[in-house]
Amino acid sequence: MSGPTVELTPDTPSSPPPAQPAAQPRPSVARRIMQHQLFWPVVALIALIILCGIKNPTFLTIELRDGNLFGQLVDIARMSATPLLLALGMALVIATGGIDLSVGAVMAISLAVSLTYLDGAANPGSVSTAAVAVLLGVAVALAAGLFNGFMVSVLGVQPFIATMILMVAGRGVAMLITQGQITTVTSAPFKFLGSGFVFGIPTPVIIALIMLVAVAILVRRTALGMLLESIGINREASRLAGVQSRNITWLVYIVCALLAGLAGIVYGAPTMAADANNIGLMKEMDAIMCVVLGGTALSGGKFYLSGTVVGALILSTIERAVVIFHIPSQITPLFKALVIIVVCVAQSPKLRELLRDGAAKLRPRALPEVAS
Amino acid sequence: MTTTVQSQAPTPAPVRSRLSGLRRYLSPEYLPIAGTILTLILMLVIGEVRYGGERGFVSPKLFSNLLQDNAYLLVLAVGMTFVIITGGIDLSVGAVVALVGLVIATLLPMGVPLPLVLIIGVLIGTTFGFLIGVLVEYFDIQPFIASLAAMFLARGLCNVVSVQSLAIKDEGFGALAGWSLKFGEGRDIWKINLSMIIAVLVLIVAYVILHHTRFGRTVYGVGVGDGGNAVQLMGLKAGRTRLWVYVISGTCAGVAGILFAFYTKSGFNLTGIGMELDAIAAVVIGGTLLAGGGGFVLGTGVGVLVYGLIQVLIAREGLDSWWTKVFIGVVLLVFVVLQRAIAVRRRS
Amino acid sequence: MTTPDTQAATPVVEMRGITITFPGVKALDGVDLRLFPGEVHSLMGENGAGKSTLIKALTGVYQIDGGTMTVDGVEHRFSGPDEAQNAGISTVYQEVNLCANLSVAENVMLGHEPRTGPFISWRKMRRQAAENLARLHVDIDPASRLSAHSIAVQQLCAIARATVRDAKVLILDEPTSSLQKAEVDELFQVIRELRDAGVAILFVSHFLDQVYEISDRLTILRNGRLVGEHLAAELPRRDLIGLMIGREGAALDAIERGAQQAFAGEREGVTPTIEAVGLGRHGRIEPFDLAVQPGEIVGLAGLLGSGRTEAVRLLCGADRPEEGTLRLGGEDIRISDPLVGLRNGIAFSSEDRKREGIIGDLTVRENIALAVQTVRGVWRPVPRKELDELVDRYITALDIRPANPNQLVKNLSGGNQQKVLLARWLATAPKLLILDEPTRGIDIGAKTDIQKLVAELAADGMSVVFISSEFEEVLRVSHRIDVLRDRRIVESLTNGPDVDQDTILEAIATKEVA
Repeated sequence: MSGPTVELTPDTPSSPPPAQPAAQPRPSVARRIMQHQLFWPVVALIALIILCGIKNPTFLTIELRDGNLFGQLVDIARMSATPLLLALGMALVIATGGIDLSVGAVMAISLAVSLTYLDGAANPGSVSTAAVAVLLGVAVALAAGLFNGFMVSVLGVQPFIATMILMVAGRGVAMLITQGQITTVTSAPFKFLGSGFVFGIPTPVIIALIMLVAVAILVRRTALGMLLESIGINREASRLAGVQSRNITWLVYIVCALLAGLAGIVYGAPTMAADANNIGLMKEMDAIMCVVLGGTALSGGKFYLSGTVVGALILSTIERAVVIFHIPSQITPLFKALVIIVVCVAQSPKLRELLRDGAAKLRPRALPEVAS
Repeated sequence: MTTTVQSQAPTPAPVRSRLSGLRRYLSPEYLPIAGTILTLILMLVIGEVRYGGERGFVSPKLFSNLLQDNAYLLVLAVGMTFVIITGGIDLSVGAVVALVGLVIATLLPMGVPLPLVLIIGVLIGTTFGFLIGVLVEYFDIQPFIASLAAMFLARGLCNVVSVQSLAIKDEGFGALAGWSLKFGEGRDIWKINLSMIIAVLVLIVAYVILHHTRFGRTVYGVGVGDGGNAVQLMGLKAGRTRLWVYVISGTCAGVAGILFAFYTKSGFNLTGIGMELDAIAAVVIGGTLLAGGGGFVLGTGVGVLVYGLIQVLIAREGLDSWWTKVFIGVVLLVFVVLQRAIAVRRRS
Repeated sequence: MTTPDTQAATPVVEMRGITITFPGVKALDGVDLRLFPGEVHSLMGENGAGKSTLIKALTGVYQIDGGTMTVDGVEHRFSGPDEAQNAGISTVYQEVNLCANLSVAENVMLGHEPRTGPFISWRKMRRQAAENLARLHVDIDPASRLSAHSIAVQQLCAIARATVRDAKVLILDEPTSSLQKAEVDELFQVIRELRDAGVAILFVSHFLDQVYEISDRLTILRNGRLVGEHLAAELPRRDLIGLMIGREGAALDAIERGAQQAFAGEREGVTPTIEAVGLGRHGRIEPFDLAVQPGEIVGLAGLLGSGRTEAVRLLCGADRPEEGTLRLGGEDIRISDPLVGLRNGIAFSSEDRKREGIIGDLTVRENIALAVQTVRGVWRPVPRKELDELVDRYITALDIRPANPNQLVKNLSGGNQQKVLLARWLATAPKLLILDEPTRGIDIGAKTDIQKLVAELAADGMSVVFISSEFEEVLRVSHRIDVLRDRRIVESLTNGPDVDQDTILEAIATKEVA
């Protein structure tokens, strides 16, 4: 995904910093670049890549073998595909003020359905069979999205509860589909989705890019992006302004689940083993991390798809850096958790208040508001 | 409701608004708990009818087994009840259970004295609870996000401690885990072990705190849905209460981690995945409102029994164990939807 | 400033030069307040004068940025309501701020409940609660849930709570807004008893009659500043109002009233833009009739909780009516959702700008575009060029400052936020514009701008429903005034030279509810 970084949010990021009263002179170019929401994520990504490059000079080389690209950076792009697919949907859900904890389980269900179908099919190697398998996997993800969306938007259940039901029960369902076995099949066209190349670029990268563009068009070439941000910022005010938050929320959970299903297929295709217990385990954490790294606040509102892309790249670069620096790989989840906590705290308005006013003003949030 | 405000009398007439004793218990807040007890009875009847046979299904042994298998869950659910009554949530408890188990399994072979290890186990939970509480209270982060982050942190630490399953072979620990009082004879023998005693003690203490102390009543007050405004204006400590419920929940998770280690005699980094949902399910089945503000910790006890019975029935039916997850999901779904329905009806 | 003599007594509370600053706003600027034992002291001022802020400073909810505060001669700086309570200051807030999910006894007693060791003595607590309630002539089961009782009873519970402890100072912030006449009498009886027992009482109310009935002393605030302290007996009502609204306000009023006369359009034979027949919703608003002609401004006057907001919410789809019919241009219509309302040319601007109006983290442009966009549908975004023209037009027309469409709306002042919201609704080109408290809490310049704009819109043929808790404003703007009380429309007045605040007050006070 080292391709051109498309500017996906034409109207938002270039706006001048909000806190500046108009009377003041416009901030300098350097200052505006620094205050751009992509600035720090990109700096972090570049720093990581440079560090890895210093440690291991071959890190930066990309070579052309049999017309296909190879190299560590290509691997990073390939590894970014799954988290990016998850994070694109998650970013939309988070923008509405929700969360989808079920993405990992949906990955497992979709892959289980696809591979179980292939396993039973007469000719698993044919392209059409593989296509049906993918469609079935995505269809079951659609069902999961419909369920999540129904719970959240129609029944009004808190998002984390609604999706947690599927997160736990969904793995049970995946186990039921695979009968508790690790289903393994062979199908060249299906495997191609995970480990093939198109025009020299790994297929997962192509799939992720197509989805990125599709989601970007869906939210930024229509009013969907603005409306779901408005839901996330102020639901009641949005309702009174005619925003159909029920439909939009529902749609967003469906999109998120569809992308998760696709991610499951892409993730499982190289090995073609449906391990219902482990596929997608803790992947919701990866997705959330990509989203917050990209500058989207977990409390909802403004979201940044371009930032999410950078977040996904940072995530897989870290995973690769761990190998390069010979750090025990068990540390990675801990590191991810710390990153999420730090970013959450950094985003908290309370911290800014604290930095501005000094420790004396750090008060509990329960400042009573009395109607007057 | 018989609220009459007399307005014509020359001297101020007393404002009367009395509910008869019985009717008070028919008000909507008791509906969920009535559903819980009904569910329990229904399941016991089903069990008796299907598997009763000669020796009967419902027996002291059944309850002893239920409590023995779910002691850790009861402790978790009790802690979770505090948090949910304030309108919060703690998603970190399952991961904390796993972490405590691993730490115990790592420290004991290193020769650290058993009492110290147990204390450390509990304090790990307390620390996580405190962390969540601080994030929620002082940084104004939503509870599910703060506790989700803590869950990731605990799982990350688990991986650092070990990715293998570690058996706990310490003798003293084994003795504590194995100690029990036996009752009855022959095949009807049933026992009370340390885990059960601890779990029931935790339940009783929680009941006393929630229903008979100022702190406990403040917990309910915070959950009324105004962000602790009313409680604060009443001069009670809303912020401190909100911090404390997470400390309580974390501490309970620490205790539950020890009980779970008693139960499995091992530590493993993948234990307790989805355990937070089990605890939430037990609390919700037990009649506590997910939206906060209402519930009964004793109901949580019943909720845990219902949860245990589901597992027993699934096992007796010969279904695969992963059905349990699906079933718990469905039961939780039903109760969550039921609560929503009551809430919506009450508002209209 | 007149400072009447005080009978050698020393004040129990003395606040001097109190200043409180919120980001960008000076909410209080050097305000003094003295409370004497055994006196009822009323705090007067219009909305936004700083009454609530001053009360919150005294009760420790807000911390003061400047000035001194002494209670019983000891200087205090409260950092929380509990500290203020410990110093003997008890408060009853306007909206019942108790826990509806707890029992009456807990709501009255919690915080100073009788205990044995760390445990609550429930029996004792219920008995004490019952005794405290009995002093207010309330006889309810202390073990029952607070939510089972009416708002009036809950209000009395709040007062019982405030008097449990021997308070030196009792603050009553709009305690009567949800009470009926007999209940008010009862409350005043209690207040007098407390006063005679030596308690200093700070009373806040919009009802002038009640203020004069109960008060010994008045402190008047305007725009966050102290205007004066007077003995109630020495300050005629007219002068009080003059001090509250300020001389400029009164002058402005005279000019504008002259310009605004009765509705010039046809009343008979014209199809009203909107007509409600028997529209109602249980527990919110009793069935009411309301018709608005094209070009007519109908003002709704009533006190807080009189049902004025509840009524208009049924017109626009914010709430669903349970009975009655709504006719739009003569045709029956069901408006189930705000979007349906907007599509049919009905725009509603809520009184709660922050919670139900602005989308704080979106830009001025996006906030203005929002309703136009929802009317067009999610999949048909307003073309960028068209949008920019629209936004620029409204920024200029309404003089929104700063005139930067990329500014986040949360960083604008209240008045400019209100203008952005007006732009949002006007951009949908509504036939009927419903404005609920559009001028609350904004500066005088923005206020007159908005009032003028409303008049212009009506002159161009738009129908407007205008709600304000300032009767003067309703009188200034409206052609016709519907007066609400107790969730009913009790009177419909055609505005004219002979209609004034007293006419409205009269209607509220005396009209028998049918």
